[in-house]
Amino acid sequence: MSSLRIEQIDGQPVAHVSEDIDAANAATIQQQLAEALEPDALSLIIDLSETRYVDSAGIDMLLRLSDRLDYRRARLVLVIPDSSQLKRLAAIVGMPQAVAIHPSVPDALGEATRSRARSTPD
Amino acid sequence: MSLEDMLSELLERIRGALEVDTAAVLLLDEDRGVLLARAARGLEEEVRQGVQVPLASGFAGRVAAEARPIIIDLDHAEVVNPILRQKGIRSMLGVPLHVEQRVIGVMHIGTLVQRDFDEDDVTLLQLAADRAALAIDHARISEQRAVTEIMQRTLLPDALPEIPGLRFSVKYLPAGAGIKIGGDWYDVFQLADGNLAFVIGDVVGRGVLAASVMAEIRTALRAYMMQGHKLTRVVAMLNDLLVSMGRSRGATLSILALDPEAEELEVVTAGHLPPLLIEPNGRTRLLEQRHGLPVGVRAGHDYQSSSYPFPTGSRLLLYTDGLIERRNESIDAGLQRLTLAAEAAAQRPDSPLADGVYRALLDETPLEDDVALLAIETMPLGNTLEMTLPARPNVLSGLRKTLGRWLHAAGADENELFDIALSTSEAAANAIEHAYGGREATFTVRCERNGKQVTIAVRDNGRWRTTRPPGGGRGLEIMRALLDSVEVDSDEEGTTVKMTKELSRQA
Repeated sequence: MSSLRIEQIDGQPVAHVSEDIDAANAATIQQQLAEALEPDALSLIIDLSETRYVDSAGIDMLLRLSDRLDYRRARLVLVIPDSSQLKRLAAIVGMPQAVAIHPSVPDALGEATRSRARSTPD
Repeated sequence: MSLEDMLSELLERIRGALEVDTAAVLLLDEDRGVLLARAARGLEEEVRQGVQVPLASGFAGRVAAEARPIIIDLDHAEVVNPILRQKGIRSMLGVPLHVEQRVIGVMHIGTLVQRDFDEDDVTLLQLAADRAALAIDHARISEQRAVTEIMQRTLLPDALPEIPGLRFSVKYLPAGAGIKIGGDWYDVFQLADGNLAFVIGDVVGRGVLAASVMAEIRTALRAYMMQGHKLTRVVAMLNDLLVSMGRSRGATLSILALDPEAEELEVVTAGHLPPLLIEPNGRTRLLEQRHGLPVGVRAGHDYQSSSYPFPTGSRLLLYTDGLIERRNESIDAGLQRLTLAAEAAAQRPDSPLADGVYRALLDETPLEDDVALLAIETMPLGNTLEMTLPARPNVLSGLRKTLGRWLHAAGADENELFDIALSTSEAAANAIEHAYGGREATFTVRCERNGKQVTIAVRDNGRWRTTRPPGGGRGLEIMRALLDSVEVDSDEEGTTVKMTKELSRQA
């Protein structure tokens, strides 16, 4: 499926979702994300800049994914532009408490780099 | 009685009446340019061995190519078919089988002793041949009807999607006499993102080969498009696929995607005649693209896409060349006639556009080529919007698009539209999850506006449960946060989720 395009930016996986995430495709997208993730990755950036709707099935999927990443000390980072309706939705369901949210991919990459630096032994 | 039995009986009678030893009928396969033995008396081997005579060579081939009776003496003639010589045939008379000036085959008789066929023999055999030709033609028409029916059932969409505010109409007519399945096809389906895809195309040539290539193309297109690729990429991938498969038959096609909410139409054309757009004000426009080669010709070709606004009241006509092409007339003249017919048909919005255009262009004219015609018309959505949808998750994206269009018309701003569309989608997802009735299950969405007030009811038939929270909790939490009110009512008949929101302004 090309609703998901995964690129590596300086070794950091960035998954661009180009369509809505809902009950029809949440499971498929979850599976594609899981396949794309290297076991030793420290963070996964999901770019929702071009996503208009995420329903409760999509939110459940993202939160489950975040839990799984937490478990192996990795982070889920979402890209949601300030102008996106998803920003309001994320606040309603309390996503910012569970997941890092950034307005652009470069911002998210900065966060990912910092978390890599934190995990590097001194 | 089968055609073969009927021909055999006729040949037996000819054998008696004309006092000859052999009699045979060969029919023309136009696609391959050969005559095929279909029935024979005294020469049954011809049929059993599937004898094929190339057009214009050999005895039967010459009769067909020259379309006139020919008499030969085998002692002094070149004959392609070795069976005739093995049988010891000495003299032959062959006449063409005609249907409306066209040669469809050959009937010939032969004798084991040398014989000079005379004028009376020729007249009598031609009479029998004319009768046989008529019977063959009838049999082929009914055979064609049967084949066409199966084709339509398997290669064309079962049913056109039912989308509120959109009207689809179709004409699909394989033309002409004889077994000639057209390579024309059309397709309409909903994409994963809720947009609608339209395809019209024409595989070069006719017959079963053209139809099988058409089936391949149709399947490949659906697969690529449903994966969510861009239209230009879809056509480029299809083109490379066909070239790599070594398909000698190219195809012309147009593929289009309509976003009913953004009211935008995207078009990619590969050598096909331009789609005709009729704007809401009645102005017509041919959506021409210069650089799209037919698919299956050259690998690596780049296709371009164009986008056009498609507001309420717009109409679109997709068609194949059989609709506009006439003998001794330029394509431009045909396009001109099509434009006029479409403008006239658009004045009568009560009848579907494809019907009107077809009546204007083809009702009086015998078809020379097959015709596929697909029309898409956008209509205004009323104050009330009601949809009954199959209980499948893949309807959600389309539901949000149709609802988005309705909400735009109701005056909703971007925030309100998001809130109502997402909440309705939540309620619908819940209805789908709990639907009762397996594959047949449906649910309904009813939207009303009254001044600034929007009310939406999503009703399912999950009658085996009396109470349950929709969306497992989080869905309901989202709906309550985004809307003014959300009520869940369950009774023996099913569950209804009723939602309201007041808009900040009225359309």
